[in-house]
Amino acid sequence: MSTIHLPTSGQIRDTIEARPESDSYLTHTRGVLSWIFTLDHKRIGLMYMWSVLGSFLLGGIFALLVRTELLTPGPTITSSADTYNQWFTLHGAIMVFLVIIPSIPAALGNFVLPVMMGAKDVAFPRLNLFSYYLWVTGALCCVLSLAMGGFDTGWTFYTPYSTTTSAGGVIPVLTGAFILGFSSIFTGLNFVVTVHKLRPPGMTWFRMPLFLWAIYATAIIQVLATPVLGITLLLLIVERTVNIGIFNPSMGGDPVLYQHFFWFYSHPAVYIMILPAMGIISDIIAINSHRHIFGYRFIAFSSIAIAMFSFLVWGHHMFTSGQSALMNTLFSAISFSVAIPSAVKVFNWVATLYKGSVSLTTPMWYALAFLFLFTIGGLTGLHLATLNTDVHLHDTYFVVAHFHYVMMGSALIAMVGGLHHWWPKMFGRMYNEKLGTAACFVVFIGFNVTFFTQFMLGAHGMPRRYYDYQPEFQVYHVISTIGSYIMALGFGMTAVCLVSSLFGGKKAPANPWGGRTLEWQCASPPPFDNFAKTPRVADPYDFSVVKWDEKTQGYWVDDAADPEMNPNAPKTAHAHH
Amino acid sequence: MSMTLQTLTHIASGAQAASAFAQAAAGPEPANFWQPVAASTNAAAVDFMWDFINWICYFFFALVVALMVYFVIKYRHRAGTAFRTDYPHHNTPLELTWSILPTILVIAIFWFGFKGYLDVTTAPKNSFEIQVQAQKWAWNFKYPNGAQSDDLYVPANRPVRLVMRSTDVLHSLYIPDFRVKKDVVPGRYSTLWFQCDYPTGAPSEKGPKVDGHHLFCTEYCGTGHSNMNRKVYVLAEADFTQWLSDQSQWLDKIADDELYFKAGPKLFARCQQCHSLDGSAGIGPSWKGIVERVKAYPNVGEGKQYPTFEDYIRTSILVPGEYVVPGYANAMPTFKGQLNDRGIDAVIGFMKHLDEFDPKTGKYLKAAAK
Repeated sequence: MSTIHLPTSGQIRDTIEARPESDSYLTHTRGVLSWIFTLDHKRIGLMYMWSVLGSFLLGGIFALLVRTELLTPGPTITSSADTYNQWFTLHGAIMVFLVIIPSIPAALGNFVLPVMMGAKDVAFPRLNLFSYYLWVTGALCCVLSLAMGGFDTGWTFYTPYSTTTSAGGVIPVLTGAFILGFSSIFTGLNFVVTVHKLRPPGMTWFRMPLFLWAIYATAIIQVLATPVLGITLLLLIVERTVNIGIFNPSMGGDPVLYQHFFWFYSHPAVYIMILPAMGIISDIIAINSHRHIFGYRFIAFSSIAIAMFSFLVWGHHMFTSGQSALMNTLFSAISFSVAIPSAVKVFNWVATLYKGSVSLTTPMWYALAFLFLFTIGGLTGLHLATLNTDVHLHDTYFVVAHFHYVMMGSALIAMVGGLHHWWPKMFGRMYNEKLGTAACFVVFIGFNVTFFTQFMLGAHGMPRRYYDYQPEFQVYHVISTIGSYIMALGFGMTAVCLVSSLFGGKKAPANPWGGRTLEWQCASPPPFDNFAKTPRVADPYDFSVVKWDEKTQGYWVDDAADPEMNPNAPKTAHAHH
Repeated sequence: MSMTLQTLTHIASGAQAASAFAQAAAGPEPANFWQPVAASTNAAAVDFMWDFINWICYFFFALVVALMVYFVIKYRHRAGTAFRTDYPHHNTPLELTWSILPTILVIAIFWFGFKGYLDVTTAPKNSFEIQVQAQKWAWNFKYPNGAQSDDLYVPANRPVRLVMRSTDVLHSLYIPDFRVKKDVVPGRYSTLWFQCDYPTGAPSEKGPKVDGHHLFCTEYCGTGHSNMNRKVYVLAEADFTQWLSDQSQWLDKIADDELYFKAGPKLFARCQQCHSLDGSAGIGPSWKGIVERVKAYPNVGEGKQYPTFEDYIRTSILVPGEYVVPGYANAMPTFKGQLNDRGIDAVIGFMKHLDEFDPKTGKYLKAAAK
């Protein structure tokens, strides 16, 4: 069987041998400048990826410092509560603004989205590069903030603390977050237009891979919600510099108003983080089960439903803030509505395993870890949406555990899963699957040891953002800290696994996992312009035409066997039910 | 054999009943795997909700993970075999079921949580009212008869309503054992209520150790946030009345010449978080050598002159921002309304006789000698 496959439908499809490897996007042009000024979405995606991973390392170091400090009550590694306050603030701000929000959309999304659509690039390549440099500028502002005395406000910048604290770096970091917001808005805008205008022939809305649906829903939130954050941060800067009383009551302002503004963005931002993760998981599970995703429409619609509901539930962060009881009641009721589409997705993913042919690849292990962790993260949201239990749990470690299960256990684990999923495509190298899977297990165990303990801490009344604590909480803190070390070890293994593949890894086939979407139908790594001609597509989840090729040790998509792509193909029993 | 079993069962159930009885008589529902002591009248409802939601979580978590593990094992792809093709693409009745069933469940959760919340937010009319002032980084509790305290003392068997305000940034008052929490917001009043039926007793220097309930600040407020915690002591009615009257008069009952060493160390306890006695810098400057320092610089800041040491200290307590010692932030809250003239006199006297006190703890050293 030949791997060179010329579809009979009259299209020329790029194949592995059709172009020499030297023509990949990595080698198409050379030199530092060719990267700095690149307009290629794949290179911009990679630059985002390394930047985000670097920030993740930094945020992770601060997390380890925080956890180590909490090994004992009172001083452990620093005798200054202010230093500790800066650590947890930096950990939160870096992880939210520099890592999780751009991680999947800007890094993986940039790389994958146009290829998945058979396009040569995103709709606005220059805007895309500009977004990246906005990200860099925002990150530099954060560094500047550190040089000017840092900031100790918590990543939420609650007033009037943030407008009155003596820490010198508050204004630079607010400016940084403001700029990062624009980076996010432009990326979102770019993706919305790209999805609307650049889909290939055959890719109707309900033929979009679910990763595209997720990125699309995310992009809409980015465009609609982030401006509110921008305005809020600007008001905060104005209040701090020229003392206009918007939020500070001593000047006639209202601190609860700030919380409304802040969460009006930051709650949807939670979905900016989790929706793309859900998209990755949908694709990884379907591809590695080698069967059609179960309930495609329910999953697609639930992404849109989550995006819409996300704008209506911000008040559930404020049940104890002094917001009226009536508002609390309404926000509690609406918050539960998010539970339904989230649950629907989980059930659909589990059902996709049913009667599938499950290959336990490294990305698949991450997807299974995601299912486990997201189920816990989602279910513990019930305790927090419920009014009387939230009053007890609000601002305790229970909340810390809950959002780490969702943001880290789900969003970041999916990001790492996606990284393993598309790594061979990005660099044309396979990593050691045994090491990759082992790392996934270590991270999974470390994660649960770290954060499940924190549910118990919080339920017993341990408040968050505490430098010092009551001795009865110590045993939980020690276990949690040990967990964080295990997790750090796991991520270290992941880094070794991925980086070493670049040097000694086996050459990756075009389609190592058996995907049907277009990014698996160009070479690994893809050529500079992805596809010579815009390809046509059929159902991205019909894997019956995906076939194994012994010679390349990879799969290939036999479009000629798909009746939709080739009217002469024999109709199989298995078309569409 | 069966005799023994019967006897054992009998003994076991007897012991169980006895322990249940002892529990009801001795105090609140003790801490368990998940929750701390349930000491307020509303805690049982919150814990019921907690358990209710937990069981839903256990069920769905077990269901999802069990199916996931089962499917992965059962449908694992083996090398060399063809992929299955007999799978369903979707199943509308099933999908509707798993959309509608959770909807009904969450409506139920919302409703019970809402009902419980109404009880938590609505204070009974006959509540005993305590004024709470939060500031960086201390709590001040003021009782109807004018008494004040740093720890919270409440009467048992009576609803207590806290009327709270903040003089600087956001704080939040949280008593885990009572399952209550409310932000304390500058510029507005917020309220919170609870009732506890189990007296803890008041701590005393001689008596047995008394464990009060923790009271935490749960809204991040800066350097001293994690030390802004106090205790809640629940007193039986007669004890509480006695405590209130003692507490409102304790300063007046001390003779003038004993004021600085009897009241001084007690008042210093509140200053201790920021000010040391041994010269080490804290959030504020140390009190060591304060008399000499102030006297040497009668002009402090632009055109500000304090004729006496006493004037300077009094102003610093009531209007702390008037003169900020170089090298320190303007972080001190005002104690206007918390410290009367007699209290200020005691602090000034304490500062003038610092050599008579332990530089670490502020304890009066001559007490033993006398």
